[in-house]
Amino acid sequence: MEPVIVAQDIRRSFRSSKKEEGKNSTWKYLLKPEWVEHHALKGVSFSIEPGAFVGLIGANGAGKTTLLKIFSGLIPPSSGTARVLDQEPFKRSLDFRKQISLVMGQKAQLWWDLPAVDAFDLLRAIYEIPEKTYRDRLGMLAELLDVQKLLNTQIRRLSLGERMKMELIGALLHWPKVVFLDEPTIGLDVLAAQKLREFLREFNRREKATIILTSHNMDDITRLCSRVLILRSGEMLYDGSPQKLTREGEKRLRVRLQEQPTLEQLAATTQIPIERITFPKPEDADAGDEGEGTLPAAYLTVNSQTLMPTLQAILAKYTPIDLGIEEQGLENVIKRLFQEEASGITKRP
Amino acid sequence: MSTLRLGWRWAALRNGFLDATAYRVEFLIEVLGQAVVPVITQLVLWYAVFKLGGATEMAGLSYSDLILYTLTSILFSQIRGGDHDFELAEMIRTGTLSNYLLRPAGAVEFVYIRGSAPKLFLAGVCLVVGMIVGAIFGGIHPERMPAAMLMAFIGNIIHYQISAAIASIAFYWEEAYSVLMVKNLFVSLLSGELIHLGIFPEKWKWVWESFPFYLYVFGPVQYALGKWTHVEFFRALALSLVWLAVGWALVRISWGIGTRRYLSLGG
Repeated sequence: MEPVIVAQDIRRSFRSSKKEEGKNSTWKYLLKPEWVEHHALKGVSFSIEPGAFVGLIGANGAGKTTLLKIFSGLIPPSSGTARVLDQEPFKRSLDFRKQISLVMGQKAQLWWDLPAVDAFDLLRAIYEIPEKTYRDRLGMLAELLDVQKLLNTQIRRLSLGERMKMELIGALLHWPKVVFLDEPTIGLDVLAAQKLREFLREFNRREKATIILTSHNMDDITRLCSRVLILRSGEMLYDGSPQKLTREGEKRLRVRLQEQPTLEQLAATTQIPIERITFPKPEDADAGDEGEGTLPAAYLTVNSQTLMPTLQAILAKYTPIDLGIEEQGLENVIKRLFQEEASGITKRP
Repeated sequence: MSTLRLGWRWAALRNGFLDATAYRVEFLIEVLGQAVVPVITQLVLWYAVFKLGGATEMAGLSYSDLILYTLTSILFSQIRGGDHDFELAEMIRTGTLSNYLLRPAGAVEFVYIRGSAPKLFLAGVCLVVGMIVGAIFGGIHPERMPAAMLMAFIGNIIHYQISAAIASIAFYWEEAYSVLMVKNLFVSLLSGELIHLGIFPEKWKWVWESFPFYLYVFGPVQYALGKWTHVEFFRALALSLVWLAVGWALVRISWGIGTRRYLSLGG
């Protein structure tokens, strides 16, 4: 099957002026500004098959939104090739624009003072959707998102979640083949986010639309995406299934010991390779995990078979203060990846 | 060859009108405020010059000529421009232009049509008012009003085209507010909205004649009042069509280059 989205060595840089503190710097900034080049994407390559639901993850500034803007044709790559639906997005051909949709959680496109149904009618005219098809689609989308009774209410009178649902309907009325969703559940409560997720899953299943979703909410990714792309500082860190990332069956054993053994001593005791044991810095540890003045905890990556022997080995040699077993959830894995970038893993001195 | 798709334009016009009149009182205050303040300023000025200062004529214009001009200019100054040029610049700066660039409809045209809806409505109202007032009180030639209003509306389009081209500065500087403000001040002066352009010294006449602004208010008023002959009017109308073509080219070029530099900032 021909890929619907192709990225080949995409690079994108932005130039911005830099202003330092102080009065003198203001004059310098006005007369001779200093320019700084920021590399948002540093050679990203991948391809996506039709009908895929792909999650795009990364910390703030990792390059997710930049990548979506390139794919939707808003900005060109500085170098490399982006192709969507066998077209060059930045040419923004009429045919291309009719087949894609970009939903940015922070950029509303509906009319604030008008009911959603008026804005939808305008979109019907823009995308030249036949009247009956439009009615059927609007009915289906409104039912899936449970907003039938709100279609005639002014947008400004709707809650954030309801507005987001309307934005989504507006973005999908023309039945795009490729949908880019940039944090669609931002600011939504748990129920609204869940409803939106159910809807997206159903839309992807029914219409076979290719969807790329960026989100900081790992629930969105784990529940919807069969494939995850992780960006870190503009580089592709991981491309694969969420299951492979979390290594199903693996757990994280947290131990805080009276004796404070070194990394090597702990590895020798437990027979677990050194690279699978970490001592996160106190500030990087989970909230509430390590208070001030408490001994740092070690994290050992174990599987179901090695869990008990590892525990027995630790208990035979050391006195535990605290023990715990954590699931290798996607959120934890991603969090650790981001922490590695921010501060690096500290080895026990 | 693609056909001209009227469908979305009609829908945008309708939504634009609904949007502008969502707050009816606000809409009316804006219309009346914009009409009344410049007129009162002019009336006070002419009273001071003619009644208090004792002048009998100014640049060949009598007190009643200027009063009639001032009152008639209300009908056409309402049609001149809107705020959608500022909106375009703001959209570029904040990145909300992205929503429009992704739709299969021209962003500049879409914003114009949406914003011009209330102006079209006002043009209709002013046309009717002008014809009735002219028929009852005289001064205005009712049969000339439709053509004069047509010129005023072409002026509205030219004004937007020039404004949109200026707003594209925001692609480079991120902000175009000051330039647009200065442009609007010049337009107020050179369109004949603030003062009768006949007051300009003869040797400076070329200044206002070099711009299309006088076709927005001064030209339509002069024709409606019978001060221009049909020949003068049609010459000005032909000129306005030339400016329309120039404006179209300006927008195509400035936005063609600008959107290639667009950064879609703001998340």
